[in-house]
Amino acid sequence: MATIRLENVSFSYPSSEETTLRDLHLTVEHGSTHALLGASGAGKTTLLNLLSGLLHPSEGNVFIDDRDVSLVGARERNVALVFQFPVLYESKSVLANLTFPLLNRGWSKVDAKARALEIAKELEIDDVVSARPGQLSLFQKQLAAIGKSLVRTDVDLVLLDEPLTAVEPAMKWRLRQTLSKFQKHHGLTMIYVTHDQTEALTFASEVSVLANGAILQTGTPTEIYDHPANTFVGNFIGSPGMRFVGKGAVGTETLTDLEFEQPVQLERQTVGLRSEWLDPRAHGSGAWEVTGSRLLGTRAGEVRSLLTLTQGAAELLAEGAGAWSVGSRATLRAKRHAVIPAGDIHAG
Amino acid sequence: MLAINQLKIRPSSKPADIACTAGSITVVLGRNQSGKTDLCRLAAGLPTKASGTVTIGGEIYQRKSGPVAMVFQAFVNYPSWTVAGNIASPMQAAGIRDEGRVRELAALVKIEHLLHRMPDELSGGQQQRLAIARALAKKPKVLLMDEPFVNLDFKLREALNAELRTLVEETGVALLFTTSDPSDALALADQLILLESHEVLQQGSALELYRSPVGFAAADLLSDPGINRLSDTQYVRPEHVHLSADSNGHSSTLRAVETNGAQSYLHADVTLTHGTEEWVVKLPGIVTHQAGEHVLLAVDHRDVLELGA
Repeated sequence: MATIRLENVSFSYPSSEETTLRDLHLTVEHGSTHALLGASGAGKTTLLNLLSGLLHPSEGNVFIDDRDVSLVGARERNVALVFQFPVLYESKSVLANLTFPLLNRGWSKVDAKARALEIAKELEIDDVVSARPGQLSLFQKQLAAIGKSLVRTDVDLVLLDEPLTAVEPAMKWRLRQTLSKFQKHHGLTMIYVTHDQTEALTFASEVSVLANGAILQTGTPTEIYDHPANTFVGNFIGSPGMRFVGKGAVGTETLTDLEFEQPVQLERQTVGLRSEWLDPRAHGSGAWEVTGSRLLGTRAGEVRSLLTLTQGAAELLAEGAGAWSVGSRATLRAKRHAVIPAGDIHAG
Repeated sequence: MLAINQLKIRPSSKPADIACTAGSITVVLGRNQSGKTDLCRLAAGLPTKASGTVTIGGEIYQRKSGPVAMVFQAFVNYPSWTVAGNIASPMQAAGIRDEGRVRELAALVKIEHLLHRMPDELSGGQQQRLAIARALAKKPKVLLMDEPFVNLDFKLREALNAELRTLVEETGVALLFTTSDPSDALALADQLILLESHEVLQQGSALELYRSPVGFAAADLLSDPGINRLSDTQYVRPEHVHLSADSNGHSSTLRAVETNGAQSYLHADVTLTHGTEEWVVKLPGIVTHQAGEHVLLAVDHRDVLELGA
């Protein structure tokens, strides 16, 4: 396994005047898992193709360890790919699917079979190795496809392109868990492309958020969620996304009845607030009006709602406990907040 | 406004009566193949296996009299007409030209700056907004939306969900909205109808159904992830299990820990008096616990659902 490095990478499709990827810098350490998170059209697939060698950067360099592979084709890179839908030879058994890449590389039948069975056992599909793909569940099929990609021992990098798309929702965590165990055991370097936040934040030790062909932030899941680098990331991550007050947020430098537990300078800082950080308190003459209420559930018997609170042009979301009616008034207290370093970036 | 009496999704279904009020949102929550689309097609007067007496404002509904509009999962727009042309098309068919109304509808769904674009120049969310504007063009009394957001990414769903409330209040339309997502159902529904295997399981306010489900199926349908089993008759929702603050609790081993930032999901093997159960626990924030750890899980007795055998 290897360390992957992108330096200054840009890419434009030959037919297009627009730059698809702009000035990317990224380091994925040997043996770590990295998620590329972005909405459709952000440039995730193009970046994946640059890493696999199907495309080459228009500018900048891609390194696998210290080797510059910018112009090296897909066949000459030791990169394994796992796709959205399982890719298997339908007429061959699972075992034959797993041994195929090894026999192709000159392994002996005995060694190939031993390695394939070992991988099947780790992926917990050893009980179906003699079955054909058609007899497997989609979950087992995707495990077999992952096994086929990872059976080689000379892989530098594993690229996963939304590998859970086809798996039924209730089984997804199992597949992530199996994959995660496998990754740790073998010390694989994995880059995982997804638009699903749970996948990105759960699976990876570091996450890069992509929008409009640029990496907007790279960090641990906690950094990305609690300390977004700009307003796009703050709003994109989390549901509901962050709302902003202070510098750059229209008409919010002079809000009243918004109390902060930690000191803040709204006239100089852009401040991000998550609904669960805000504590609304009912107050007949409060400056905030409840303009919307959505039921979240209950906790210890008490109703919890997601409240929309407005004051002039400002709108915030806060989790409220107990009964709240639309039209009632409140004051707000921020138990915590995030200072957004690049408050004025509105990419996407 | 809209009422369906003796609703049967299939000839063998147990019949139910449902009703949607003007200016309010009725959500039908059901899994795939539960009968949501059949219900919408019946309400719209389209061919379906579902049966029942559909009345609108008390009168038996005749198709083509126009008070019902439908928005589908897939964005259905005329590809060779501009946004403005698409919105105007239902009025044009009725011989009406009203540019003011076109702009007003576009503003309502926030695409007024896109009137001269073609549909294929719009994002998925904008296309679905266009479909909604067109559906509202003939001032329907009833708007049917059959899983309108399944093809949209979750940020767009978030924005459109928040806008639906305003849209219903401003137009006074009776909205029937189907979904398979329990959190959408809780957030949007003035009235909630649970549909499973072609039958209405329960209907009422969202809070009523959340607190007092009539049985396991109703409780599990309105839970994401599904509900956890405490005993043959007792269950608990994932958000109602917490890490014990003292030494009392069910001894558990974590199998996986997942997070989306706002919540973490602990998948645990929980030791109960009758044996081991697989639970999912939903906790706020990003937790530091890891797979393989042993923890004590506790449940507040007020949160236990008594669901019968």
